[in-house]
Amino acid sequence: MSRNSPFNWILLILSSLVLLFILAPLAGMFLHTGGSELLETVNDEEVRASIWLTIWVAFAATFFFAIGAIPLAWLLARKEFPMKNVVLGIIDLPVVLPHTAAGIAVLGFISRDGLLGKAANSVGLTLINNPGGIALAMAFVSIPFLINAARDGFTAVPERLEKAALSLGASRTRVFFTISLPLAWRSIMTGFVMMFARGMSEFGAVVIVAYHPMVAPVLIYERFSSFGLKYARPAAVLFIIIALAVFILLRLISVRKKETHILLDAEA
Amino acid sequence: MLKLENISKKLGDFTLSGISMEIREGEYYVLLGRSGSGKTQLLELIAGLNDPDSGKIWLDDEDITFKKIQSRNIGLVFQDYAIFPNLTVFGNIAYSLHCRKNDKSTIKNEVTSIAKELNIGHLLTRFTHNLSGGELQRVALARTLITSPRLLLLDEPLASIDASLKDDIKKTFRQLNKKGLTIIHVTHDYSEAVSLATRIGVIHNGRVIQEGSPDDVFGKPANKFVARYAGIRNFFRVRFSKEGLLWKALSDTKLALNLPEGNYPDEGLVIIRSNAIIVAGEEPQQKAGNCFKGVVKDISPCEQGMELLVEAAELFYIEVPMNDFKKLQITETSDVWISFPSEACIVLNGGSV
Repeated sequence: MSRNSPFNWILLILSSLVLLFILAPLAGMFLHTGGSELLETVNDEEVRASIWLTIWVAFAATFFFAIGAIPLAWLLARKEFPMKNVVLGIIDLPVVLPHTAAGIAVLGFISRDGLLGKAANSVGLTLINNPGGIALAMAFVSIPFLINAARDGFTAVPERLEKAALSLGASRTRVFFTISLPLAWRSIMTGFVMMFARGMSEFGAVVIVAYHPMVAPVLIYERFSSFGLKYARPAAVLFIIIALAVFILLRLISVRKKETHILLDAEA
Repeated sequence: MLKLENISKKLGDFTLSGISMEIREGEYYVLLGRSGSGKTQLLELIAGLNDPDSGKIWLDDEDITFKKIQSRNIGLVFQDYAIFPNLTVFGNIAYSLHCRKNDKSTIKNEVTSIAKELNIGHLLTRFTHNLSGGELQRVALARTLITSPRLLLLDEPLASIDASLKDDIKKTFRQLNKKGLTIIHVTHDYSEAVSLATRIGVIHNGRVIQEGSPDDVFGKPANKFVARYAGIRNFFRVRFSKEGLLWKALSDTKLALNLPEGNYPDEGLVIIRSNAIIVAGEEPQQKAGNCFKGVVKDISPCEQGMELLVEAAELFYIEVPMNDFKKLQITETSDVWISFPSEACIVLNGGSV
């Protein structure tokens, strides 16, 4: 196919339009935000607190749910059991639910009459309007990303390697930690980053569970609905910058592991 | 030492059925079969990677049919080696020692010593992605041998090794066996079986169809399938009949073979090795048990010299050493005489595959 064929031109134009559609609104927002406005927002205690809250709660939610999600992903990758397809469907459910509906569901679960709410109450905890509740709402809508990515990662690990390790005398737990987990690590990290990013950006489910303390998406919405676009924009820009920075950092950490391998190889 | 009793296992569309065999201490047992014959599955059952549906596996008089894979002490070298790509060569070899919680200096000493023995001492700090097939094979072997297995299982160990390295690896296997290690080696290549085995089992469609020493198996193949393995290409479906004191075998095309004395069924298969037939340009003075006139249909080079395809009632494949071939001065369409003693006619049991 020649370089200048009409097909190539059409491809190029259509692809550029899609990219432009993503970049233009973001660029517009950045261009409309002056340096002084941004600086003012950085100095705004309320904005800083909400961004920090968003990051740590999303991270904590991802981290704690990963403890259960990763073994579940291994199970789904390795074992056949009755109703497995139903289980897979249930895992994908949060992705297709409207997020406000997901928020209502989580709220019912953690309210004083709910199962988890009652349990938390009995030890003197209230999950509504509490970072704990926010974490649960974030996890509810974002956990499929981690489970599915980790499952793909485990599926890609040849089962023979696990069996070889067993035949060398390793226990199941040891095989999991020394063979399965390290070999699926990149996919798991990708899932981790996606779950974290998805949790951080969640608005619908979180706003129903906790208007206060305010996570960044709620804060941006609140500023927009109370004061208008001009006032909400700097907060949005700042949140995007920080979210991107965290996102890139995590990506780098997960990629670095592979690079060390290649580096060591080259040295040898 | 290892005994399989009536082992059956269904795997998808494939079934291993009623396999019984016994491997004796110190044996080099080669399990010979085509791909898909069930030989790898059988190894996996012995190693404990899968459980059989029925039957029993005994190791040193202990029933290990459902024993945990970790505590069987059976070493398995996988066909694709199953090297852990996230570990260095050292990490791979040391894997089992870490499981046994040995201390660091013991691990280092043991790994270094076995790596030296297998000529991979210089690779220890390397990761495994760009090692050659031969090197990976040695890493896999070292990783298994370091566990001092009671029994070593090798799954097609020479299948993806360069021809030039095969002899080296074979030598290593032979040495291990000489030191007393019992080995079960699975392969589709009969030349491996001939050069390594003290005993051979031929597996076909999930069943062991013949067992014995290499001489037994290739000298008296139990059926057409085994015979094919031994490189035999002359098969004739015949009816047996007795004329006076002599037994004859008659093919559909009226080829009549004189057979050695014995008892024969009504019909069956007769095989004749390609190198047991003598070709002459003129009618021989002294005729062997069987002598026919034929026409050369095809001439092609083969390992031992030339292979002739001669039509004499039936088609005969005949191997002629190069020197003899030159003396014969024949071309395609030449008339020739072929002869072989009646003892060269081997009758297969039952006469079918």
